[in-house]
Amino acid sequence: MEVTDIRPILAPAISFACTGLVFLMGRNTFWRRFWSLGAATAKLVVVMSMLPGTLRGTVYVFKLLDFTPGIGLGFRADALGMFFAIVSSTLWLITTVYAIGYMEPEHAKVRFFGFFALCVSTTIGIAFAENLLTLFLFYETLTICTYPLVIHEETPEAMKAGRKYLAYTLIGGAFVLLGSIITFQLAGTLTLSRPGILSMSAGGTTLTWLFVALIAGFGVKAAIMPLHGWLPSAMVAPTPVSALLHAVAVVKAGAFGILRIIYNVYGVELLKQLQVISWLAYLAAFTILAGSFIAIYQDNFKRRLAYSTVSQLSYIILGAALLTPYGATAAIAHIANQAFAKITMFFVAGSIQRTTGKTQIHELAGIGYRMPFTMAAYTVAALSFIGVPLTAGFVSKWYLSLGALQSGQWWFVIVMIASSLLNAAYWLPVIYLAYFKAPVGATLDIHEAKPTLLWPTLLCALYVILLGVTTQVPGLPFSLAQAAVRFVFGM
Amino acid sequence: MIAMLWQNIDYVGSVVLFCIGLYCVITKNNLIKKFIGLNIMETSVFAFIIALGVVDGGEAPIMGAGASAPFTNPIPQALILTGIVVAVSTTALALSLIIRIYEHCGTIEADELREME
Amino acid sequence: MTASALLVGLIIVPLAGAVLTPVVGGRDGARACGWATLVMVVTSGIAAALVVHVAQVGPFSAYLGGWEPPYGIELRFDEFSASVAIICLLGLLAVVFSLRYAAHELPPVRIGTYYTLLLLNLTGMLGFVVTGDVFNLFVFMEILSLSGYALVAISGERTAEMAAFKYLVMGAVSSLLVLFAIGLLYALTGSLNMADISARLSGAAEAPAMLALALLTTGLMVKAALFPLHVWLPDAHAIAPSPVSALLSGLVVKTGLLGLIRVYQIYYGAKVLDLSALNTVLVWLGAISIVMGAFFAIFQEDIKMMLAYSTISNIGYIVMGLGLASQYGMIGATVHIFNHALIKATLFLGAGAIIYRTGYRNLTDLRGVGRSMPFTTAAISVGAISIVGMPPTAGFLCKWYIALGAVQAGHPVFGVALVFGALFIFVYYIRMVNSFYFQQPVHPEILEVKEAPLSMLVPILILAALCLVMGLLGRIPLSFIEPAVTRLLGTVGG
Repeated sequence: MEVTDIRPILAPAISFACTGLVFLMGRNTFWRRFWSLGAATAKLVVVMSMLPGTLRGTVYVFKLLDFTPGIGLGFRADALGMFFAIVSSTLWLITTVYAIGYMEPEHAKVRFFGFFALCVSTTIGIAFAENLLTLFLFYETLTICTYPLVIHEETPEAMKAGRKYLAYTLIGGAFVLLGSIITFQLAGTLTLSRPGILSMSAGGTTLTWLFVALIAGFGVKAAIMPLHGWLPSAMVAPTPVSALLHAVAVVKAGAFGILRIIYNVYGVELLKQLQVISWLAYLAAFTILAGSFIAIYQDNFKRRLAYSTVSQLSYIILGAALLTPYGATAAIAHIANQAFAKITMFFVAGSIQRTTGKTQIHELAGIGYRMPFTMAAYTVAALSFIGVPLTAGFVSKWYLSLGALQSGQWWFVIVMIASSLLNAAYWLPVIYLAYFKAPVGATLDIHEAKPTLLWPTLLCALYVILLGVTTQVPGLPFSLAQAAVRFVFGM
Repeated sequence: MIAMLWQNIDYVGSVVLFCIGLYCVITKNNLIKKFIGLNIMETSVFAFIIALGVVDGGEAPIMGAGASAPFTNPIPQALILTGIVVAVSTTALALSLIIRIYEHCGTIEADELREME
Repeated sequence: MTASALLVGLIIVPLAGAVLTPVVGGRDGARACGWATLVMVVTSGIAAALVVHVAQVGPFSAYLGGWEPPYGIELRFDEFSASVAIICLLGLLAVVFSLRYAAHELPPVRIGTYYTLLLLNLTGMLGFVVTGDVFNLFVFMEILSLSGYALVAISGERTAEMAAFKYLVMGAVSSLLVLFAIGLLYALTGSLNMADISARLSGAAEAPAMLALALLTTGLMVKAALFPLHVWLPDAHAIAPSPVSALLSGLVVKTGLLGLIRVYQIYYGAKVLDLSALNTVLVWLGAISIVMGAFFAIFQEDIKMMLAYSTISNIGYIVMGLGLASQYGMIGATVHIFNHALIKATLFLGAGAIIYRTGYRNLTDLRGVGRSMPFTTAAISVGAISIVGMPPTAGFLCKWYIALGAVQAGHPVFGVALVFGALFIFVYYIRMVNSFYFQQPVHPEILEVKEAPLSMLVPILILAALCLVMGLLGRIPLSFIEPAVTRLLGTVGG
């Protein structure tokens, strides 16, 4: 049931308006914080207020204006979009608190918080985009808005990373644009409100190449190998940026785009007839394993996180490429599961850096005694990545394996198991180092991160457990994922 | 072929003039010579258009006593009067620019000017 | 009757205004500026009324002296002529912008002349787009070209005069090519009225018709600065005073393209030639222009030089769209004529304001200016994003339409060239934005300069806002121009 409602546009619009206020009044610390937090809270409230309706099956739509004759700037809050929106707006609130604590000694805070708010506003736009053109609009805006955040340090290294980031993502954007143009020519519409708008009549070859173009376009942000090069470089950004943007908003925007392409542009039935989808699955499986392998050799904490992100994102892609209901459930649920676990990790890395100045993993010996709560959060997240039951990661892996079996491709289960082992191989040594090795030249006194850094970290860790144990509780994100799956597969 | 060209000698002439002018504009190094080339081009186009209006044995189309057909076509002549005005103003502007350039640089040779930049 | 009177007034008012400027303004630059502003306000009002009229009733004509064509002179106002709106808008903003700029940059004795020439230039453009007569087309083209040459040289600096001379030579040659072609068309058809020529050309011999077409296209493409006929453009546009650069880059080069549309109207209607060969050439040259313009721009240090080269790229877009001869491509190209004018004027006026305040024009010297002139640089950033074709700005819709047109015409490869060419353009705009905001200043005093004065800031901000608005409300120009394009292309199929 579709209902016209202003809330799908209100959510991005509120944070957009607050962004303007941050830029205008941001020189004053109080107002900068007030508007940053106010925007985050207001948006979360707006998004959450739609949740009961979405769970009942209501789809809120709002058509703002006709962009061109035929294609409108439209917003539509369906189950999949709501899922993404809830994850990103929840995390935005938490990250804003963290960022306020983290950025205290930094320069150019007005610019930072302004663009920070703008990015999340565009992320909601991506989540609620009614058609591919609106999606593309926000996708490109996101690219532009994250650039000032990536190069925040303004060092030559940061500028270089920024250039690399732009080169990758803009070329990706160009592919998306091309794909959209051809889709529009073939289908005559770009709406994302149906389970598939293309049909076999366009010809198998055309459809295959179109799929490659679109997936390559979104795959850049989703960091599918070999398109992942920008992600580790972009880790020069301040930690909250890495956390929110490179674990949540930007990369998930890419993954979300791929889900939209698979489920709403092509549709499951059409893709089953195309060979190319299984290649996507192989590529995702390769990325899962290769990303983990590279991560093992990284000594810089944030770079290890970056490669772990590369690996984890492909869970989403693999789940979607399986074209089975369980696989789809895993793909969608993993958007949240990975986001919360990864952001916990980033918060831990940032807290350690701000509190002790350490950025390399081999320096972390004994840190578990000095920062017990922070490292407890780390442990929870690490277990989630490994896929230990009662954590969020387990849910994704379980459904992904079920999906692989459902589609008869049992070898992906082996990939899952191998990935768990690899994750254990690079997350557990840190725990060993932190708790069982004596620190070099430092006391064992407790020296925790300050509260604005610590509390968001713990909250995210708590969420990781919550997502792991409450899949059957109605009203939580998982039920939304299931609603989205029912729509896609027509169940 | 020759006969056809001979018959249209007025058109052929203006095309040849046009090409000579263009050659000057492109190859000459001195700004004034360049501009003379442009003037030659202008003249050739004017001649071409005037020639269009000529009627064999035609008189000047001036109404009044004793005027009798055939007349030459007056429209091209009117057009070219306008064209000449345009050409004169172009020439005036170009020459004043050349004078200014000479005052500033002491030369009007294109290659020497390029070296100064 | 009223519409015809307005149409005549559209040309007479700025022409009379130009002639009277020295009388009214005298030696007082501010008074001359005020007078020019008044003239442009009246002209803009007339233009707005005409655009509304054409939207309601479709194309209409005015006959000078009551003589009907083919004998009399016809002024024709169709949807393409609606570009008078953008001409008047930019003209008005450029005049307002000039108040402080001219007083600062020009020798005082020339300020009156400056406004006279500015108004003459605008008169030429307005006449060019509304005339229905090929010879008047030439005359108006010469008015706008001659005043353009003079405007480039007006600062009286050595480089300006040399650039103006180069521009003059190229411009004069191209005008003669056009005049030659007009002579040929007259010889073939015995008429100078466009609609009449189109009707009579169908029986004409093919070879001279083709020669005329070639001469017209070449001449107009020199004016439009399509690669490889662009050599005059970068110097002239970069060295001219900034408000003039905005007009030259935003509008004057577009007259070449609007002229090309008129040529299309004549030849498509006549069906005497198959234009597909010409179109192929134009599409290729357009694609090469996009890439080469961007390529040259990457190596520029001078901010205005960079903007000048980016004009060549954008002309490439438009020519490509026209050459594709598909519905979407043509609509996109025509609307890009409007939108690029807005965008480029934003950029040039913004650059002008920065140069006015800081005195620097190299990107390295301008580092850090974003902190001291936040509004101007924000407007320039909007312009930069728009010219690259990022949504939701004015540039995006045109790119989308032209690329869609390429797919529609069965040449998706040009769509690819367009989309990736745009990325190339981004490379140098990001350099500009980097130096404004993200790099440490070379000259510390740049952090102390003041924001641009209001008479500059307001036009810049209006234009930047329009860049965004035209992106969101893009359907208005798109659907406005659609019937004209349908009519034009409809004559192809028969």
